[in-house]
Amino acid sequence: MNLSHEREDYLIKILKENFPNDIKDATAIRRSRINVTVAPEKIVDVALFLRDKLAFDHPTGVSAVDYNRESRFEIVYHLSSATNPDQRDILINLKESVPRNSPKATSLVKIWPGVENFERESIEMFGLQFEGHPRPEKLFLNDNWDGPPPMRKEVRFPTD
Amino acid sequence: MTTTDKPTQENTLGSPSPDEPGAQTLTLSVGPQHSGSGHMRLIVELDGDIILNAQPDPGYVHRGIEKIIELRNIIRSIPVIERPSIIDASNLNHAWVRAIEELQGVEPPARGQYLRCLLNEMNRIMSHLYWLSIYGVFLGHTTMFMWPLGDRELFIDLAESLTGARITYSYLVPGGVRRDLPQGFAEEAIKRTEYFEKRLDEYENIFFKNPLFTSRAKGVGVLSRQKAIELGTTGPTLRGSGVDADLRKDEPYAAYGELDFKVHTRPDGDSYSRVMVHVDEMRESSQLIRQILKKLPSGPVRRKAPIVVPRGEAYGRVESARGECSFYMIGEGGDKPYRARYITGSYRNMAAISAVLEGVRLADMPTSWWSIDYWPVEADR
Amino acid sequence: MSAQKPVQSDDPIELLADSLNVWVGKLSDIVHKVIDTEPIRNVINWARMYSLWPVNITTACCSAEFGAASGARHDLERFGVLPYGSLRQSDLIVIEGTITKKMAKRLRMIYDQMAIPRYVIAMGDCAISGGLFHDSYSIVNGAHEFLPVDVYVPGCPPRPEALEHGIIMLQEKIRSSKVYPQS
Ligand code: SF4
Repeated sequence: MNLSHEREDYLIKILKENFPNDIKDATAIRRSRINVTVAPEKIVDVALFLRDKLAFDHPTGVSAVDYNRESRFEIVYHLSSATNPDQRDILINLKESVPRNSPKATSLVKIWPGVENFERESIEMFGLQFEGHPRPEKLFLNDNWDGPPPMRKEVRFPTD
Repeated sequence: MTTTDKPTQENTLGSPSPDEPGAQTLTLSVGPQHSGSGHMRLIVELDGDIILNAQPDPGYVHRGIEKIIELRNIIRSIPVIERPSIIDASNLNHAWVRAIEELQGVEPPARGQYLRCLLNEMNRIMSHLYWLSIYGVFLGHTTMFMWPLGDRELFIDLAESLTGARITYSYLVPGGVRRDLPQGFAEEAIKRTEYFEKRLDEYENIFFKNPLFTSRAKGVGVLSRQKAIELGTTGPTLRGSGVDADLRKDEPYAAYGELDFKVHTRPDGDSYSRVMVHVDEMRESSQLIRQILKKLPSGPVRRKAPIVVPRGEAYGRVESARGECSFYMIGEGGDKPYRARYITGSYRNMAAISAVLEGVRLADMPTSWWSIDYWPVEADR
Repeated sequence: MSAQKPVQSDDPIELLADSLNVWVGKLSDIVHKVIDTEPIRNVINWARMYSLWPVNITTACCSAEFGAASGARHDLERFGVLPYGSLRQSDLIVIEGTITKKMAKRLRMIYDQMAIPRYVIAMGDCAISGGLFHDSYSIVNGAHEFLPVDVYVPGCPPRPEALEHGIIMLQEKIRSSKVYPQS
């Protein structure tokens, strides 16, 4: 197995060249895993660039993380590539942070239609808001739960 | 059931007319109590008997697993993370230990890696067989229900002798596997896989060349390559649409780098292609089982790994029976993860349900959506 | 509640209807009693025991073992258990595992639509007490919270043999039960 980070470094270099001010951080955390942190306003541009220029056309998922001590939510888009066989194993974590008291982000459904369900889940589980989402309704929790968004850190189980 | 009558226009029977404003449509709720739905509900909009739009309504099995694994230590969580796809427990378990090992920097010994692959491949066969038998129910084909379930027991017995449980193994732990092969396992496994391959030939003749099946699967429920990619589908669904993505090849984990196997794809993207991808994969897996048993190195099966999730981020992903299953894990140094995001194959393929069902006749609905191999429990978690 | 007696009506037809009602009621009591005697009851219970058709509803992962039990090796049809699509003609709910709040509503709806006699088997630890997911935010901790349960089958998941044993236990229960449990 090839253990060098050439492809990762190349991708990071290209991203940094094209978005010198908007990308706050881009690192290869280990082989074939890249973290890219961007400002929430610029995420659409970076996402379009990733999809069209670098062939990251295959959304793998969206995670939201509640950093309640830092009073922010982090939204992470996990992206991989299906059309380019050379970078199928590379996974880009495209991250943005939104403040906890007004968790508003821009929906990327227009760029990757596959993230629709994941964003819907983040809406119900964390109380996030995605602007431009086609169906900002509950997905799993409809009828199941009507308390506060359950994945937030302050929600505990009764016997915990 | 509700009908929406809009000002009538001439509505030619049988032709899908999604854009025609005058069409008379019927909204039908299918499930969860329905022989063609499983643990989910589909809200289907019909024109005549052609489906215009189908929206899944999941959440009937949402159990809050992501929350639970934040509150339990990583060993106690193993049974919990297996439960979403109980028929494919080992692969999900593998994703979990892969994420943990990536953070801990622990590499299991070679024999442990091979044994992991062994159980994974057995699980893949079992899961596909279970899926195929339910496909038989949806086709109304009782033999197709009984045979695969009967042959599944061959592998269930094997797995039981290896791990001690029929379907919930908890066999993979950080650092390796729980126990070594029992005596006589290899001979028995080789015998059974060879028998199973003969059975697959029989299946081919009885089920897959049968007009009862082909007429309802060929050309029905087409998911184009482009659509499959942009909807983020994975596993047999993606390969049935002609993309040869398989994590076992693309990102060779465990012992898959040293094993010799093919990735099977079909170009058409209809129900038939997806079914045949499953069948080809079962053949490949049973070949892999024999190969693993032949190449199995000697040595320990497990290395000591601490019960701790070091600070950092990891993304452990494996190719499970239903596609890529992954954990996005964030550690804080305690014995529990700070956050463990659980993304399963079915969850990703849920987006394909509406795409596949569009334009399909209502009678073909169960077979079409089930060909995606959508296991509602796995999607809801 | 008032202690007033209902006003007796003088209308002869109404009086006649009232007394007729009383007689019909008495007659049906007698019929019930006759049917509930040994030989007839045995025949009816025998018929009920071996045609336990469960509803087609699956609640969670125990359904995999229910599937295996209906499959070739274990074949629940030997005991007369055949999953069936129509609610009105089925008499058994096998709750296969975790009951989420969303599913609990539907299960109750299904139970209410079924014809009497109807039976409930709670299969798996989750259906008994919540099991692995006890106290999670979206589940109900056990089927007994909203349905009367006849037989509990423990295990996570119960082996098909255990489910068979549960069904035999239910059949034993039916064998010794009355034809009209309500009266
Ligand atoms: S008892 Fe176990 S197998 Fe059954 S539903 Fe619960 S977790 Fe799943």
